[in-house]
Parts: sequence; C-alpha cells; structure tokens
Amino acid sequence: MPKAKQTEKRLWARVKNKLGDEQTLMGKHWSFNLYDDPKRLAFVLSRYKFAAKMISRRECILELGCSEGIGAPVLSEFALSYLGVDLDGNAIDAAKHNLASDKLKFILDDFLGKKYGKFDAVVSLDVVEHIVAENEQLFFDAFNNNLAEDGIGIIGTPNAVAKSHASPTSERGHVNLFDMDRLRKEMQKIFHNVFVFGMNDEIVHTGFSPMAHYILAVGCNKKNRVKT
Amino acid sequence: MKRNNLRSKWLDVKDLHGDHQVRFGQHLSYQFQNSPRRILYMMSYYKFASKMIGKGKKVLDVGCGEGLGTWLLACECGWAKGVDLDCDAVEIGKNNWKDQNISFACSDFLSTRQQPFDAVVSFDVVEHINPDNMDCFWQKISKSLARYGSVVIGTPNITAAQYASRIAKAGHVNLYSGERLENEMRQYFKHVFIFGANDEVVHTGFLPMAHYLIGVGCGKIIQEKKVNQ
Repeated sequence: MPKAKQTEKRLWARVKNKLGDEQTLMGKHWSFNLYDDPKRLAFVLSRYKFAAKMISRRECILELGCSEGIGAPVLSEFALSYLGVDLDGNAIDAAKHNLASDKLKFILDDFLGKKYGKFDAVVSLDVVEHIVAENEQLFFDAFNNNLAEDGIGIIGTPNAVAKSHASPTSERGHVNLFDMDRLRKEMQKIFHNVFVFGMNDEIVHTGFSPMAHYILAVGCNKKNRVKT
Repeated sequence: MKRNNLRSKWLDVKDLHGDHQVRFGQHLSYQFQNSPRRILYMMSYYKFASKMIGKGKKVLDVGCGEGLGTWLLACECGWAKGVDLDCDAVEIGKNNWKDQNISFACSDFLSTRQQPFDAVVSFDVVEHINPDNMDCFWQKISKSLARYGSVVIGTPNITAAQYASRIAKAGHVNLYSGERLENEMRQYFKHVFIFGANDEVVHTGFLPMAHYLIGVGCGKIIQEKKVNQ
C-alpha cells in the first residue's frame, strides 16, 4: 500500500518537473475578482476565447483596457503579437510582471483618442461601460483609428438590461451601459458588417438579446468615408 | 363546468391561428418520420444565419429544399428567395408560403443569374457539389452578393462522416474540414468567421469535434483579382 503511493508520488513528480517554477501573482483587480466571485474568471476568459476565435489568424492584436492582462494569453493564442493598454498602473504592473514577453507587451496609458499603430484586430471587453458619455467618441476614435482597413474590431460590454443584477462594485463603475441596439448602431457607424452576439455566463449565443447578460459585437469592413 | 370553460378558451385561441395549413413534402416528411431531430438542427442553423445577417435584408437561400428555412429567413431578415434544383421541393415551398416577403424558383444556381442580395445562405449544399465546380459555386455566390453582403455556408464536418446515415453518405461527394472551409472561403472573402455546431448549439469550440460547420464571410474579394491568380 505505501509502496503504491510512493509510485504515484514519483509519477506525479515527473509531471511536476515539466511544469517549470513560474508563479503568477494577481494584481488588486483580479485578486478581488477571484475572491469575490471566481465564476467571473470563467465568463471573462470565455469572452476572450470567443474574440480569439473570431480574430482567427490575424497577426497583431491591440487590447484597449487590458487590466492585468488576464485575457492576453487566450486572446493572442493564434496571433504573432499583442499590445495591451490600460490606465490602471497596478494592473499594468501585474500584467508586465506575469506576462510581458516578445509577443505580449503592455503599456500604461489612457488610450482615449490615442494611436498606437495599425492593428489587425482591436478588442475591448468590459471597457466602454466605464467611459463617461462625453468621452465616448474618443473611445470609439481610438478603437477605429488603431484598426487597419482590413482589420476586425470586437467590443463586449454588459447588457444594460441586466443592470439591476450587477454587483455593487460593478455598478459603481458602470456609467455608460449599452443595450444591443445601441451597440450595434455605434459599431455600424464604423463598419459595413457588424455581427452581434449575446452571452449568458460562459455561453455565447444568438438568442433574444434583451435576455442576454452580456453583449458582443464583431465589426469588419471599415467605412472610410463619413456618411452623409 | 371547469372543463367547458377551458375548452371555450382554447377555441378562442384557435380562432387566432387562422386557417393556413403547412404541408411537408417528401423530403421533410422523410426527415420528420426518420430523423426528426435533423429538422430542429436545421432550423437552428437557419436561426443562426438570420441573426448573423440582421434585419431589413434581402436574402437568397441556395438549396432551399422545401423552403422551411427560407421562411425563417424571410420572417427574421425581411425578405428571402429560395432556389433549388429539385422542382418538386420548390413547389411545396411555393404552396406553403405565398406571402409578399418570400419567393421561390426552381433553377440551377450555378447557371442562373441572380440579382445582388444582401446575404446568401446555403446549408447542406457544398457537400453535394463536385469539387471541380466549387470555384464556380463561390464565384456565383460572390456575384449574387451586394458589395458588403454576407454569406453563411453550412455543411457537415468531414470528421463526422463516419457517423453519417447511409442515405446521407450516398450524396456527399465534397466534405469539408473546418480548416478547408476557412481556407477556401478566404479566397473569396476578406473576412471569414468559422463556427462549429453540435446538434442545435452553435459554438466556437475545437473544430474537429464539431459535428457541423458554419462559415460566415463578408467583404467579397472583387472578381478581377481572382481571375489573375
């Protein structure tokens, strides 16, 4: 009996030896999330996975509002490079410490109205609801201006109709909630083609949007000229 | 007494239904009797397509069969036209749906000129097309689309071929893997999004385990480029 245990321990040690020694220390934001509601990690990573699958093989990805870079590895799985921008210094420190590499880069900056280059994909999840109305245009400008002509843009945000179910912490930060119609309309100002999806927990679907907890829009084929 | 009340309530409801009767032809009837779940999956793919296309659009349904899915597209997107080689099936569709927002034609898609549509949908068609004719098929789709029109193509995954029924196998001459569908669509569309489906659930999971594949394309690559290749 003890002998068998010994064998399994040795077996497991062999697996462990292959894992490396690296440890990941979450920053304030994700430490809070993991304590407060660990399910959130499933939902959030599932949004990133969906975005990654939509982006498919595009090379350079920009994430506006990357926080601690929790989604960067999932989002950039099929990409060559990834740049994450956030205005939260503590979050960017955690991202850099845990993830910075040749492929993954992070910068501390308020991206509103800024330009970092032309990217094949621009993704912004759980950000636009934190942008006050008077800065909304700057948000969409940054989203649009950093995107290459043939790029694709993805925005995800909690559905306004789910507001009453938000946690007090989320609610305090949410100053600009979108429902599906409004998100679609904003995206259609930028793109000829917009595909919208709903999400409930980790499931992405195309069901009746007022019952979706979270909403996502994928845009492509940019409109270059200002529509009259 | 209570029973009577319920009965009269139901009659009121029934009055609201009108007199319209829908007839399934031999194709749908066969499915309905022998693999009824297939109808549910099919309608779920059509629903997905309608959501990708959006409202207020003109949609062409290539290989519409008896037009049940075409009707869903007409209801959800605004207007739909179904075309199919099988004139008996098309006739069933025509008789069932006589509304303003839907039309049908029995014709060979590969050799008929189509007006430009906002979207083209084609489920369970490409696997029946000789691989040599696929370039022609994609070009035809492209020509049938407005500049920023979108296309939704669905086909069984080649990885699921071993589980196909005998009757399904007999017709499948051109099965796709997710990778091949994506690569081929990328020759004709700038943007391609590939989804998998298992039963009625459409998802973005690991494609070799998806039972069914749905490709969404938009931003058609203009013809001249293609000819030069």
